[in-house]
Amino acid sequence: MEWLNEFTRRLRFRLRGVRFDQDLAEEMRLHMELRAAEAGDRDAAQRRFGNATQLLESSREAWGWTLLDTLRQDLRYGLRMLASHPGFTATAVLSLALGIGANTAIYSILNAVILRSLPVEDPQRLVQIRPGPSGDDVFTNPIWEQVRDRQQAFTGALAYSPDRFDLAGGGESRFAQGLWVSGNFFRVLGVPAIRGRVFTGSTGGEDRRGSAPLAVISYSFWKRNFSGDTSVIGKTVRLNRHAFEIVGVTPPWFRGLDVDQSFDVAIPIACEPILHAGHSSLDERASWWLRILGRLPAEESLQRAADRMRAIAPEIFRATVPGEFPAQIQKQYLQNSFFLEPAATGFSDVGAHSRTALFTLMAITGLVLLIACANIANLLMARAAARQREFSVRMAIGAGRARVVRQLMTESLLLAALGAGAGLLLASWGSRLLVHLLSTTGHPLEIDLSPDPHVLAFTFAVAISTAVLFGFSPALRATRIELNQVLKESARAALPGATRFNLGKALLTLQVVLSLVLLVGAGLFLETLRNLLTADPGFTRHNVLLIGADLQQTAVPPARRAAAYREIRERLQAIPGVAAAASAMFTPISPQGWAQPVQPEGMTADSPRDRLVFLNRVSPGYFKTLRTPLLLGRDFNERDDLHSPKVMLINESTARQFFGAADPLGKTIGLNQNDVYQIVGVVKDTRYNTINEQPRRIAYVAAGQDPEPESSMRFAVRSGVAVETLIPAVRSAISGVNRDISLEIREFETQVSESLLQPRMVALLSSVFGVLALLLAMVGLYGITAYTVARRRAEIGVRIALGARPGSVIRLMLQDLALPLAVGISLGLGASLAAGRLVNSLLYGVRPNEPAQLAAAALILAAAAMLAGYLPARRAARLDPMIALREE
Amino acid sequence: MADNLRRDEIPPGTLYMLILRMLARHGEMHGYEIANAIQQVSEDVLQVEEGSLYPALQRMLLKGWVTAEWGVTAGNRRARYYQLTTAGRKQLHTEMAQYERVSGAIQKILQRA
Repeated sequence: MEWLNEFTRRLRFRLRGVRFDQDLAEEMRLHMELRAAEAGDRDAAQRRFGNATQLLESSREAWGWTLLDTLRQDLRYGLRMLASHPGFTATAVLSLALGIGANTAIYSILNAVILRSLPVEDPQRLVQIRPGPSGDDVFTNPIWEQVRDRQQAFTGALAYSPDRFDLAGGGESRFAQGLWVSGNFFRVLGVPAIRGRVFTGSTGGEDRRGSAPLAVISYSFWKRNFSGDTSVIGKTVRLNRHAFEIVGVTPPWFRGLDVDQSFDVAIPIACEPILHAGHSSLDERASWWLRILGRLPAEESLQRAADRMRAIAPEIFRATVPGEFPAQIQKQYLQNSFFLEPAATGFSDVGAHSRTALFTLMAITGLVLLIACANIANLLMARAAARQREFSVRMAIGAGRARVVRQLMTESLLLAALGAGAGLLLASWGSRLLVHLLSTTGHPLEIDLSPDPHVLAFTFAVAISTAVLFGFSPALRATRIELNQVLKESARAALPGATRFNLGKALLTLQVVLSLVLLVGAGLFLETLRNLLTADPGFTRHNVLLIGADLQQTAVPPARRAAAYREIRERLQAIPGVAAAASAMFTPISPQGWAQPVQPEGMTADSPRDRLVFLNRVSPGYFKTLRTPLLLGRDFNERDDLHSPKVMLINESTARQFFGAADPLGKTIGLNQNDVYQIVGVVKDTRYNTINEQPRRIAYVAAGQDPEPESSMRFAVRSGVAVETLIPAVRSAISGVNRDISLEIREFETQVSESLLQPRMVALLSSVFGVLALLLAMVGLYGITAYTVARRRAEIGVRIALGARPGSVIRLMLQDLALPLAVGISLGLGASLAAGRLVNSLLYGVRPNEPAQLAAAALILAAAAMLAGYLPARRAARLDPMIALREE
Repeated sequence: MADNLRRDEIPPGTLYMLILRMLARHGEMHGYEIANAIQQVSEDVLQVEEGSLYPALQRMLLKGWVTAEWGVTAGNRRARYYQLTTAGRKQLHTEMAQYERVSGAIQKILQRA
């Protein structure tokens, strides 16, 4: 406890710190005066007493807060130095703020979607069960029920599946982000309710088939849709027009297991038949839709749990084998097993799909920050050179080198702190902007970006490392001086120092290397985006409206669906201004699809992969509506119905790969043994899921020949007029067929351009950062040339006086830049080649070693460098020799 | 100069002990009185650089061995009076015990040599 008393005394001393010096001085004065009175000799008294000032110092040191005092001194001095050079300070702080801000912004997204653990109880013990080591991670409900009832590897297992539910009572849909959850979902995660209760779990409660329609809603949904009404428990929320009773509200920190998609409403899996009456998936042995997670017991290792799960796998898969499937598929099915994977960080589409992009952006911003550091180091060195006399004086009157270095590092840390502070502000704005840019209308991202200790620690660490990076070396160099020499000579003569200047050149080279890498990257990503935008997708995306129509909640019986779809199509076609309208099972560039191996006529059984075809079921006029050219044969027409022979259209790739040079018309392709189609036409290749995919084999079957139309259908409408003006007419046309049809309307162009969000963003950000890097490098080059000019003023004056022409003076000044530039560009090209390979998966239509790209980047950089060097060099050439020489 | 240096070499610990001892004997004293007392008792053998009393006193204040109070001298001058605390008295005993142990040991060595 002694240290605590001591601390209290120190603190109390601190609080009356000012009086300390006066008191002690008075005490000492009294001592000396008494001694002088006694001895009658003032000088002798002083001699006996010793050095009063030093004693005062060491008395103060006794209280041990000197470090704090000198730190305060350093800070005050540092701030004064920064304030007295506003230009330098602003440049340094701004470039650090941009660098640190960009890094923090990207990191906070990376942290949210990939690195951060879920805010649930002990997330490290959560594991996901998967059917294979990679690929799909979902199971059928029969498998889940088996796992739930049989597993003993976990203290609890849960299943869930994200979905969206329509809140609207009819007409255009308003979606809520939904979760299908097993009864113990919240219990296993350790998520309580802040109002009401969560599901009670286990087979007795909400897992029971025929469970009452109950819902647990999220905090934000409660605030948004019920204004935080405290009596919300017992009220109902209508999902796909079915009433669900709200039993609880989850806490604000729980947003579901998908980190970029907050949930609004969770309902029990057992309620699934309520929404999907007539085609429930609960006993579907071929419908894979549930993610399964388990919580490891405290002492259990992942390995042991995996062994236990694998032990029960054969039994479970035998019990759930889809009997209606062919024997071979059943055999494959039985070979499934369970694989465990940590699930502490939750699930993220952005994380899964944009992992490479995010890490690439992180690397890009890291490089920008490095360039900024190199720049500031350069500026600091130039400034240190100017302050050399100051340092020499300080060291001559007794400051240790460590003391001066400390002072300089304090200034660097101050700069870094200011930069980091501004950077954090920039980042909180920037990361929100990025998330906003990545959001699409159909799929808004909701990523929790609230300040997080990890992000703050990251920024702090970045700030400290930048300060060390840009500050330490210049500080060491600035203080490695021959005192006498500097003090004896004039300030300017002391400036040149071979070593210091070489460090400057090395930094410059580094900047050139990094800038070139960034410029090459920006060029590659821009080229990628350009290729994606100009690629011919096989259709024209302008002026097309896409409409999703869902009959699920209408009274239309399955037998009447085909007629309803046909009527909708006719009504759409009749709208004034509509050039063409068609229906399709899928519209291009959406995540959905239908693919299966087929049996082309005359082709012997290859591996299923070689016979895989992507399919679509479309109405007459589909190709006309999307403007996909018909190359051979005919389009579907209204006579292709259930009573006529089955017909099919294929695309070029299918024709070429299945039939080679032979005429495909009249040949057949079988989807199943008894389901054989005759090819009546060939259309141009189109993109199916994404713009950047390779051409795929696509086959089209006729909507009119669909024996069991599904409960939802998509329509496409092409118009000569602005397509959004058609929306009211479209809406009333469809509700004219049936008022209860749910609608989802969007423009085709939006759908396509939103699919290009990630390449667009990478291109945008890499160009912004590339330009920033170029600017920073130019500032660096400008600074170092200006410094050279200042240093060699006298020499230049002599040269001009002796008749040197401006051109030769400029050349002389630029010579200094040539070497770092040449070395930097060649190293940079090598680094770009290496880096290019890492981002290959983000490129489209351009190779990372494209010579034109590399050459363009090198040229731009060289030109910018020369321009930056030319400005101060030209000033040198215009020097008045008389003025320069008189100064000497 | 050489004399001065030798006097400065009094180990700080010893200085603490001397100050503590003087305060234990005389009760309340100010700095000048402490310096004089040490000098008189040691019959001028020990001559501390007088000023070094003050940093030492500050350290002792911090350790809690002494307390200080402003008062008035006989000559009606303001002076800071130092007084021993219980902790200080304990410290004096430990230091003296230790000193005796060490000096006793040294003496034995010197006698035998």
